[in-house]
Amino acid sequence: MNPRPEPTAPSTDSSTRMRLVRAALGWRAPAVVSVAAPPVVKRRRLPLVLLVLLGLLGCDRGSNATVLWHAYNGAERDALVASAARWNAEHPDRPLELVAVPYGAFADKLTSAIPGGNGPDLFIYPQDRIGDWADSGVIEPLEYWVDDARADRFSDEAVAAMAYRGSLWGLPIAVKSLALYYRTDLVANPPRTTDELVSITPGKHGYAVAYANVDLYGHAPWLFGFGGKILDEDGRIAIATPEAAAAMTFARSLVAKGLAPDHAEGPLVATLFNEGKAATAISGPWFQSDIAAGVPWKVTTLPLVSATGKFASPFLGAEGILMSARAHDKDTAFAVMDALTSDVAAIERAKLARQVVPNVHAFDDPAIAGDPTLRAFRDQLAHTAPMPKGAAMRMVWTPYKTALGEVVAGRAEPGPQLLAVEREVTSYLVPERK
Amino acid sequence: MKQAPRAHVQILIYVGLVILCFAVLYPVMLVCKKAFEPGTQFALSASPIPTAFTLDHFSQLFTERGANGELLFLRHAVNSIVVALLTTVVGVSLSCTAAYALSRFKFPGRKTGLTMFLVVQMFPATLLLLPLYVILNKLGLLNSVAGLVLVYSTTAIPFCVWTLKGYFDSLPRELEEAARIDGASPWMIFRRIILPLSRPALAVTALFSFMTAWNEFIMASTFMTNQTKYTLPVLIQSSVTEFSADWGLFAAGAVVTSIPVMVAFYVLQKYLVGGLTAGAVKG
Amino acid sequence: MSTVVRQLRDFSVGAALCILIASAAFVGVRNRELATRQRSLADRAAAEIAEGRTLPDVRAVIVGPATPSPKRPYLKSRQISDGAGWRPLTATAAGASPDDKLFYDAATRYERETSARSPVRRDGAELDDDATILLPDGSGRALAVRPIANGLAMALTPPARPAPYPFLVLIGVLGLGAAFAAAGALVGGRAARLGTTAGIAALAIPCVLWGSWIAAALIALVGLGLAFAQGANLTDRFAAGVRGHKTALGFLAPAAVSMLVLVLAPFVIGLVLGFYDHHHGTWSFVGLHNFGEILSGGGRALDDPLNFWFIFGVTVLWTLANVAFHVTIGVALALVLSRSWLRGKGVWRMLFIVPWAVPNYITALIWKGMFTGEYGAINSVLHVFGLDGVSWFSSWATAFSANVITNTWLGFPFMMVVAIGALESIPKELYEAASVDGASGWQRFRHITLPHLRPALGPAVTLGSIWTFNMFNVIFLVSGGQPGGSTNTLVVDAYRWAFERGERYGMAAAYGTIIFLILLLWTVFGSRIVRSKGAES
Repeated sequence: MNPRPEPTAPSTDSSTRMRLVRAALGWRAPAVVSVAAPPVVKRRRLPLVLLVLLGLLGCDRGSNATVLWHAYNGAERDALVASAARWNAEHPDRPLELVAVPYGAFADKLTSAIPGGNGPDLFIYPQDRIGDWADSGVIEPLEYWVDDARADRFSDEAVAAMAYRGSLWGLPIAVKSLALYYRTDLVANPPRTTDELVSITPGKHGYAVAYANVDLYGHAPWLFGFGGKILDEDGRIAIATPEAAAAMTFARSLVAKGLAPDHAEGPLVATLFNEGKAATAISGPWFQSDIAAGVPWKVTTLPLVSATGKFASPFLGAEGILMSARAHDKDTAFAVMDALTSDVAAIERAKLARQVVPNVHAFDDPAIAGDPTLRAFRDQLAHTAPMPKGAAMRMVWTPYKTALGEVVAGRAEPGPQLLAVEREVTSYLVPERK
Repeated sequence: MKQAPRAHVQILIYVGLVILCFAVLYPVMLVCKKAFEPGTQFALSASPIPTAFTLDHFSQLFTERGANGELLFLRHAVNSIVVALLTTVVGVSLSCTAAYALSRFKFPGRKTGLTMFLVVQMFPATLLLLPLYVILNKLGLLNSVAGLVLVYSTTAIPFCVWTLKGYFDSLPRELEEAARIDGASPWMIFRRIILPLSRPALAVTALFSFMTAWNEFIMASTFMTNQTKYTLPVLIQSSVTEFSADWGLFAAGAVVTSIPVMVAFYVLQKYLVGGLTAGAVKG
Repeated sequence: MSTVVRQLRDFSVGAALCILIASAAFVGVRNRELATRQRSLADRAAAEIAEGRTLPDVRAVIVGPATPSPKRPYLKSRQISDGAGWRPLTATAAGASPDDKLFYDAATRYERETSARSPVRRDGAELDDDATILLPDGSGRALAVRPIANGLAMALTPPARPAPYPFLVLIGVLGLGAAFAAAGALVGGRAARLGTTAGIAALAIPCVLWGSWIAAALIALVGLGLAFAQGANLTDRFAAGVRGHKTALGFLAPAAVSMLVLVLAPFVIGLVLGFYDHHHGTWSFVGLHNFGEILSGGGRALDDPLNFWFIFGVTVLWTLANVAFHVTIGVALALVLSRSWLRGKGVWRMLFIVPWAVPNYITALIWKGMFTGEYGAINSVLHVFGLDGVSWFSSWATAFSANVITNTWLGFPFMMVVAIGALESIPKELYEAASVDGASGWQRFRHITLPHLRPALGPAVTLGSIWTFNMFNVIFLVSGGQPGGSTNTLVVDAYRWAFERGERYGMAAAYGTIIFLILLLWTVFGSRIVRSKGAES
């Protein structure tokens, strides 16, 4: 505050007080101002700081790097990093950049980023959204670069999983399906039919089988084993069928007889299996890292459904590398895809991360052919149901889960619940517009 | 009541407080227990005391490396700290000037302005995600610290303005009038008189802005596409997904992430009570 | 102030607005114009190559029919002819060019669409009847496809940039308009206003030339509005107001600007998006259809969890229950914690604030884990007391209670802190005087404590109810809407429309607008009721 000549008029009480206060403040001012200074001084410099930040952090893409998004963790990620390193060593002028994006937001990020030109050039994702993305123009069709010779590298089901409406949209990198894990100390011979399954008595408070029974993905082996469907051959919804109802009844009976835990999800399945409270578990390749040390286990294919004579068939989940429709150098991007799905890279992934790879010749390698777990999953591939790729499929998960929950808990009947699911999914689908 | 009640009533009340405290802190104790207990499954027993003790989760948290070999936790912690501190600075600066204007000056649209700050809180933030994404994209601020800081600051502004304005209202005007007679400009009055006197409210505002930025998860994971730019909440959330849940890692991350906020609360607690109320009473 | 300066000032304000309008019109027009230009060029070239002639600069080819591979029908091999004979259309063939893939994909797309019953495909580019599209890669190239006897004739135009921004035109027109305004001002009187209006109207000339009638009409409106405002002296008053309050505006500006850009703008965008429907990447205008579908309950029964009114009821119940619990527990604790004889107040307060301090997405997940399964923590505690475990998420009542318990735990510290502050501001003499007068504890509470609590709790309750109404994390993470989506609140259901039901962003945006309007009504009417009640007591 600028010093001013004091008023010469006689001061009143309040103005004296004010002057004293002001003087006190002024005297304290250095300490007070210095305490208050940081935010205020920073405020003056703030616009500059922001500008610099904007400049530095605004745009940071390498000029010609091919960017690949993935959601891998742990050993799978290490294997992918090794393959990327190999590519970078061989092609220093066209580097490959891996970016890890958490799985939860992966698909949504892609759908919003790519049309705006912000997304990656390649990404790894399961095939269930291919239909959506193909129809929206988010991904690029690949059959121009792929001929029969190249496609023969992979197993037929895996490549077929990447096809949609007459085009090929990705190269398969891994296949996942459920299989039957069993504890060798509780079950000497694994059940080969559902009748054998329901006759397992693992002891007090134990379950015969633990699996995610109120999720459509976990329930799928029974659904397809009993002959049910989700979409028919023309892609129309065919959810409410007597076979599907029979599958739901079976799932309910498992819980009612105490053979399977109610409303189980992944973590609970793992806990029960680890603690010996479940003799068998139905889960996928990812389950292996959840099994505690010291638990004796093996994997085999899922049993036959005694009622129908068909094998319990889980969904075939094929993970593939897909190309963004806005990739800036599509030929290079395809070359990267090709390298990452080559036999060499596949064998590496199978050995390092125990991924079940779709490359046919990978199983010529003795290390992989001799691995019983990988063999079991490979054998299960022969009895899987392809995951439908249309938009309808994406809407089915939540309503089906609700219906399963109600039926398995014994609160509703399968028939009406399945009809409700069909109604709900149909109402979400927007009729195609011209 | 001026006289203290009888001894046994006092003891009853203390006992009741202890029980209630235990009930309130029970989930937090479970998290701490899980952080020190081995295994990735969620605790299936009610006891808050760990059955076995291990520091594995913490060591895994601190040593996990990302795709490019950098230490994930350190990277994300630095991101979180930078974002949170910048948000605090920007949020407080923007709010205190606006609150001062709304408190001291009369101008047309003042009442509307006040109501707007309240009304703005009514937008469900999750639904603004997509438009914000588009706007940040056009401004080139996606995947950048600056964009995130700006978004967090504007999220925190309404509450901060409300608190600060209430506090400014309660400050006597004689000081400012005297300074004005002395010839000080409004800016100097603001800087040298009001701000130093408003420490409680500024502390509350800073704490709130810091918390908004430090704890926020959805916007961070939407606007940042590069893993190196993520903040701590995104890292912690990624250890518990639909398919694989590593609760031990999650708990360790949760404990470590909550510590700064708890420390900040402890240091500023005497301002919290005063700052919040003054705003509330006059707001 | 001098008339010229005054007119120029008003003109510049109006001109700034009109420049924005004209620029928007230009951007809209130039893309359209580019698209039309390129597409007609491609069409012509495709017609020419069918006759065997080529146009300069345009790459025209004929693509033969597809021979699908016997094993894999989606792998088709084709032949391509660009006038020099046929060769295979693959990446590795001799003579392949980088554009070949575009032709290959165009052939596949054309055949798929003409054979399908419903033409769905939208590549993010315009698709018109002759299947001539503008490539979505932003290069401005157009590709035309035309069926002929031995295959498909195609043409690919060279890249083109849309017309550059017409700086000179706009500057020239601005100058012209300013000249009109100044001339009118110099003449004086009525002509001053006329001059400014004419100046603004001058800015409409480029819009007329571009054929953008809406923009021209808007600019004319601006001109008329300005004339009217000048006549009513509004502009002068506004300028004086700005000048007089410039300190206040200066202080307000930073926060106001950032709120405008990062809060108001997204809100307006969200509002507008509610009138569109988003499907497979394309937006189509549907007017009030989204709102109608939401508010009519989608044609479902009232107890169907997807009916808007059911969800609305659940949300209202959720808000009321939570706020009631928050206030009761918070005030009760505050009363206990402000007793003068209580020791360790600071410690107690710190401990009870912990639920508010720990990030709520963490605690929501912990609570979910505690409620889950037969052996979850809550059920284990119940077992300890000899009660049966409860399957929390299999019935509406228990799932709803689980949500309420979690959110109450999260929310009572805020009310507690507000109440403590209010209680501490009550002067002790009031209590002493009252007890001297012989008032009982309850009477002291009713006549001293409560009236002091109310002004502090009022805004806190308003704010708290808004936050609870919009609370997303707890519902989404704890019950996840179970059972069967019946514990979803409005915000969660809107999120599901956006991300789980096929990216129906339009529906989600309409939902958001409705939520906002509900809260607005509640605040406006609710505060009137509270104020009138407060005035009565």
